[in-house]
Amino acid sequence: MTTEKQLNMQDSQVKPIDETRPTAPVIHVSPSPHLAQSTTSTRRMMVDVLVALVPVVAMSLFVFRGYALFQLAVCLGGSLAAELLFVKMRGRPSTLKDFSAIVTGIILAMSLPGTAPWYVGLIAAFVAVGIGKIIFGGLGMNLFNPAMVGRAFVMISFAGALAASGFEDVRSAVDAVSQATPMNAYKMNGVVAPLAHLFWGTTNGSLGETSALACLLGGLYLIVRRTVSWEIPAGLLLAVLVIGGVADLAGPADGWTVLHHILGGSLLFGAFFIATDPVTSPLTPRGKFIFGLGVGMLIMLLRLFSGYPEGVMFAVLLMNAVTPLINRWAIPVPFGEQ
Amino acid sequence: MSSENQKTIGGLKSSNLVQAWLVLVLAMGFGVSLAGVQLALGPIIESNKINETLEKIPELVLGNALAAKMATENQTLEIAPRQVTVTKAGRAKFYSVYEARYQGDLKGWVVKTKGQGYADTIELLLGLSPDLHAITGLFVLDQKETPGLGNKIVTDAWRGQFIDAPADRSLVVVKTGAAQPGEIDAVTGATISSKSVTALINTAIGDLRKPLTAGTATVEEGGKDNG
Amino acid sequence: MADQPTATERLIQGILPENPVYRQLLGLCPTLAVTNSLMAAVTMAGAVGFVLLCANVIISLIRDLLKPHLRIVVFTLTIATFVTIADRLLAAYLYQMSKTLGPYIPLIIVNCIIICRCEVVASKQAPIVAAADAIGQSLGFGLALSSIAAIREILGTGALFGLRVMPALWPDWVIMVLPPGAFLTFGLLLGAINWITDKKKA
Repeated sequence: MTTEKQLNMQDSQVKPIDETRPTAPVIHVSPSPHLAQSTTSTRRMMVDVLVALVPVVAMSLFVFRGYALFQLAVCLGGSLAAELLFVKMRGRPSTLKDFSAIVTGIILAMSLPGTAPWYVGLIAAFVAVGIGKIIFGGLGMNLFNPAMVGRAFVMISFAGALAASGFEDVRSAVDAVSQATPMNAYKMNGVVAPLAHLFWGTTNGSLGETSALACLLGGLYLIVRRTVSWEIPAGLLLAVLVIGGVADLAGPADGWTVLHHILGGSLLFGAFFIATDPVTSPLTPRGKFIFGLGVGMLIMLLRLFSGYPEGVMFAVLLMNAVTPLINRWAIPVPFGEQ
Repeated sequence: MSSENQKTIGGLKSSNLVQAWLVLVLAMGFGVSLAGVQLALGPIIESNKINETLEKIPELVLGNALAAKMATENQTLEIAPRQVTVTKAGRAKFYSVYEARYQGDLKGWVVKTKGQGYADTIELLLGLSPDLHAITGLFVLDQKETPGLGNKIVTDAWRGQFIDAPADRSLVVVKTGAAQPGEIDAVTGATISSKSVTALINTAIGDLRKPLTAGTATVEEGGKDNG
Repeated sequence: MADQPTATERLIQGILPENPVYRQLLGLCPTLAVTNSLMAAVTMAGAVGFVLLCANVIISLIRDLLKPHLRIVVFTLTIATFVTIADRLLAAYLYQMSKTLGPYIPLIIVNCIIICRCEVVASKQAPIVAAADAIGQSLGFGLALSSIAAIREILGTGALFGLRVMPALWPDWVIMVLPPGAFLTFGLLLGAINWITDKKKA
């Protein structure tokens, strides 16, 4: 034991000059350097995310039609305007070209219900960019996922528009919007949506979350391009699989299986597009896996035991908050093992 | 004064008690003044606490218009509080019931009841007609339901649905458009809060029907619907 | 004693230059907890003002008798007495408000503003200066609380002092009257004030 300890101490003493090892313990609460240093790499990354979002956006336009177009316009316009305004207030050169505001705007729009009134998207976009990102010092410095900060703000503010009942508009001409969301129909009335509907995405829900297929396509592209690391979605899905499986076996046989847990709600959208934000997730592969596990466990906790039908947003925000701790915890251990 | 004091007690300076004389004197003085404050204000505070419930009673029993009219004419209801114990499934349950009379005639009952809502305990005051046929009013004393959704149970519009609702059958919460008497519209997005309130009311009426209709001589017609 | 600020200086200092909330960051518990309506904020500021004034004057009167190691006991005793009186007064004459403020009135006992002013001013200077200081600090505290409460109440309920000021179309930002709204508003206002002061200096 003592030798191990000594080894550790030696390690920490030589660390500053040992360049082969990650210097992460020194920068554990600081921004991810690979993002903040070079605009071109940030831009490449953001373009990748945009490409990956194409199937999701296309599917939402197909299912929700006008609603999706409207929400996209509001959120994109809002986040670009907010970025322009706040960056100017700070007296910094414009950061519009790194595309991060566009990504935030699209992810935000995809996480809102199409039926939300215009001010919801606009306020969410300003909060996402202003309070979620700029106030911490801009991209790379933010602790919390900006889009989720914006969404949480409007979700609590305008509970009527964003709670499960807000998604429905019985008179709507668009089929999906006139139904209850699958998650809520199950939570309130025990109605189980067919798996095929959840997979293709012809159900009601937040714009980008309904189609499991589109999220999988986009997510796989991101992983293949190494824009996001596979550890986070893997940890997340593993946690959901295990807890959902146990709940499936132990709970009542009401037809809501572990597959419903994975394909339903915003789980896949969250796993590939929201939890994987490189700025607000841990640095090391090990940390990322722990982060993914944590998000998955919190999602299942919220889904099974809280009053909310879905828990992806709160789960990601909570795990964002402990990311610095995971960073600190996940890095030193491999040294001891060497 | 202080320097004189210090000279005389010079040798005793090390004693904690002597050093703390100022604290002791202050404590005595403050204690006496606090006692005075409590004597002067205590009765007012007590009556505030009781009035909080009593003030609501005329409105709950008679309705807004009549209660306001009574207040302007300086008339008051005679209110007699009583404790009703109901034994259900081997467990005793207590209800505070207020009996409201005007010039000897029974005008109605007000029942205080509480139970689990969506977020936390909900505490209600429920006005009932003398024969327990109808609900005459509802007031939410305490609730911590979700702001923006569940806490709409306190609004006049929602509570108003209960006025004149029949009390001889269970109220039912419906999601869209209450059409028949005895149906209550759920607060949009807060079905659980709405159901909790309605269930509390149904339970309270069910529990109290026998004790209240049996215990009073003024309710002659109460026998025909003992539930 | 010659370099101690005068009564007027103390009074003016308390309002903005040494504002207890925005400059000294003291008394943040009530600042965050009771600012969801302007009426509650004003009542809270009034109660703190009353306790601060009484405690400051009493401490200043007995300042020559204080022993260094017993002074905190004396402060606490005095403050606790006046807090109890304030609490009883509110319960007797503003019963609804006293229910709204709940535990935050008794918690004035541990409000750092009061013990700080007793230590800094009342235990060193004459009653007149102590009283002026108490008034200045209370005004500063009241100003800070009302500024936060006004923003939160307008955005969160569309009303001010319970009266609707925003058009009927205004969607209430419920989050503003909830605890997160307190942190956001306070943080943004604090940032704005620092930003303005920095600009003035430059």
